[in-house]
Amino acid sequence: MTLLEWRDDFCIGIAEVDHEHQVLIGLINAVHAALGADRSAERIEEFLGEIHARISAHFALEEKDMRSRRYPEFSLHKADHERLLDDIRDIMDEYSVHGVLDDQALSNRLATWFGDHFKTYDARLHSFLQV
Amino acid sequence: MKWLKSGLRALFLRLEQVCEKFFGPSLNPLLHLGSLGWFLFWIVTVTGIYIYVFFDTGVTQAYASLEYLSREQWYLGGIMRSLHRYASDGMVVVVMLHLLREFAMDRMRGNRWFPWVTGVPLLWFLYACGITGYWLVWDQLAQYVAIATTEWLDSIGIFAEPIARNFLDSSHLAGRFFTLMAYIHIAVPLIMLLFMWVHIQRHAHARVNPPRKLGVAVLVALVALSLVVPAMSQAPADLDRAPFEVGLDWFYLTAYPLLDLVSGRTLWAVLVGGSVFLTLLPWLPPLRKAPPAVVNLDNCNGCGRCFADCPFGAITMVGRTDGAEFDQEARVDADMCMSCGICVGACPTATPFRRASALVPGIELPADPIAGLRDQVVAATAKLQGNDRVVVVRCAHAGNLDALADTGVTVLAMPCVGMLPPSFIDLVISRKHADGVLIAGCAEEDCYERLGDRWTEERIGSQRDPYLRDRVDRDRVAVSWASPVQQNRTRETLVQFRQHLHDLAGSARPARTGVAWRARLKQLPVPLRFAGQVAVLGTVAVLVGWFATRPTYAYLNHDQALLKLSFSHAARSLKECRHYSPQELANLPFAERTATTCERGRWPVDLELLFNGRTIHRATHQPAGLWDDGPSTVYASFRVPAGTHQLTARLRDSGRTTGFDYDSSATVTLSPGQNYVIDFRGTEGGFQFGRAPAHGLATQETPP
Repeated sequence: MTLLEWRDDFCIGIAEVDHEHQVLIGLINAVHAALGADRSAERIEEFLGEIHARISAHFALEEKDMRSRRYPEFSLHKADHERLLDDIRDIMDEYSVHGVLDDQALSNRLATWFGDHFKTYDARLHSFLQV
Repeated sequence: MKWLKSGLRALFLRLEQVCEKFFGPSLNPLLHLGSLGWFLFWIVTVTGIYIYVFFDTGVTQAYASLEYLSREQWYLGGIMRSLHRYASDGMVVVVMLHLLREFAMDRMRGNRWFPWVTGVPLLWFLYACGITGYWLVWDQLAQYVAIATTEWLDSIGIFAEPIARNFLDSSHLAGRFFTLMAYIHIAVPLIMLLFMWVHIQRHAHARVNPPRKLGVAVLVALVALSLVVPAMSQAPADLDRAPFEVGLDWFYLTAYPLLDLVSGRTLWAVLVGGSVFLTLLPWLPPLRKAPPAVVNLDNCNGCGRCFADCPFGAITMVGRTDGAEFDQEARVDADMCMSCGICVGACPTATPFRRASALVPGIELPADPIAGLRDQVVAATAKLQGNDRVVVVRCAHAGNLDALADTGVTVLAMPCVGMLPPSFIDLVISRKHADGVLIAGCAEEDCYERLGDRWTEERIGSQRDPYLRDRVDRDRVAVSWASPVQQNRTRETLVQFRQHLHDLAGSARPARTGVAWRARLKQLPVPLRFAGQVAVLGTVAVLVGWFATRPTYAYLNHDQALLKLSFSHAARSLKECRHYSPQELANLPFAERTATTCERGRWPVDLELLFNGRTIHRATHQPAGLWDDGPSTVYASFRVPAGTHQLTARLRDSGRTTGFDYDSSATVTLSPGQNYVIDFRGTEGGFQFGRAPAHGLATQETPP
């Protein structure tokens, strides 16, 4: 199963950011698929660690683009990025310590985590860039 | 060179240690020499503008206008003038210390040559500013400076007419030349400012303002000095007399008394040679450093964090070259990179939690791969025991701290602690590889790689990307900033930190956010610190005040007079002019026909001056001009005993082999300090002794 689905309304209007959003979702799905049946703590850690690294880099890029466009809600948006990174670190530690990965639960969690940020913060950035 | 450098470094480190006791690291003047230079420059600029409002650029009015400022308007104009002088002297002090310190700390070799090399012309500009400034006062010091400077410039031999002739005697003094000096004194600082700007171009976040409190303290010290010892003019200039003694500003005019000992050309050679040597110093010997940072495009999305953090401006963001759908990528200029690794610490992909793909960050040092660092951390911490296990991360410049390692402590070295990505701290603490991380870098405000300490603190304090995650208890992340002679401080910090970790063990309180943990180190009580600050700044102020005019320099003994032989005379032509023959005229184009033709070229002027029958000057002065058809110019100056003397001057300007074309003698009485000029005018009978005696001094001429 795919963990996350890309939706066109995720687009915010900065080509490189949209591109990386899709790459990220693809990456999450691919890494998750590669995980296969091996659900050892080590493999889970690898999977989440990779996602963490890529999302960190992605946020860094999005923040650069927001800064260079003088996006007025930058600090709010940035704060949410930091919160999301804190969250994923919590998820990482939970799963690596317990070594149990419930696909459905993780899928829900990541979807909520990602989707909520998209729907609120990225959508606001999108509408700012439309003006 | 190596010994000199290490000796100087030891000296500076001790001095800084003493200063730090009083000022603390953030206000330690020795760590802010460059920015203090800028600050003093602005003081000099502001006071200079004020003085210029009241200053009269005419040679006769200049002195009076400054007297007005210093005496009538002492409460404002006088202070401004004193500040102008003392801040300028202070600039020499901080600039020289800055130069010595960057040399001692070895911060000018390798790719850091640029600020060093651009600093060399700044020295020349600085001195030119000071020298032209003293000129403008038009007191006896100015007179000395004007004459010594122009004579020194003339020694180069590129000026057809000696500039020093402008100051031969009072009848020669050209007001316009003096006015020109005023504009040079304004133009040179402007050019200097341009070079100051160039000087800091390769430094990201260059510090051009000292900490506010330090700036205020320096200003207060300078104002106090200005009130206690106001800058005053010396006696007014009088070109018909030579000053016996002048109060030299030893900060700017240090080299001038040397002109009594060595020739002007020798001094030029020393100063120019010294400057060339200084310029070459960054390559003596060349710095051998680790290979520069490299960008890995597969892991770079162009987020620009390395670009924002590079202290040396070695990273630029350029258009994507690999076809990936990103706008930019980082590019490292190998000629500017110092291989400090601060860029690695900023890269979001340099996180040790990555395991599915090889741990290659977007940017990294080939000699210090981040994957190796992770393996090191894991391996080194595996052996540690106790509930106060600490990973000490030390930089390459804070001295060797490896002796700190024991059963509960491991020490990891990296080029600069700014290279440590915050996620490594997260890894160590969250995954319980150790109970705490102690970051031990260079002295605070004095990171060898410029910004490593600052970025590290800001990343830990969640003020700069990448943030250390909030989940990491800041009570488990300690910092210790200490120079190699302050290693006790790091040792003490480690002891306290381990005790702190021990106390934390088992307590289940939430992670503290905010800044890193610091040990409580002994500090002097506040009154003592304040007293120390006053003492340090006061001592510097007293030294500045003292050497600004003292000790005086004896230009002329009290029983001496100054004799000057100077004139400009066109010797006879090598060949007489002759009439064109009618045939020749006919061959010439119509527009070029003249009655006579003159071949270019003149005889040299042979000159002798006898003082009481003894020859004190004998020279051949060649004609000026590319075709040797200009006048020969003479400028010679002699210190002679005062009293009555027989002077004989002889001149040959016709190429004759024996005898002279002009031969005059005079018995003159020279009063002590008199400036006596011997001129020559071919059209007015030859030598003129004591031309334009402004003060009616006795001269008796005897016919030849």
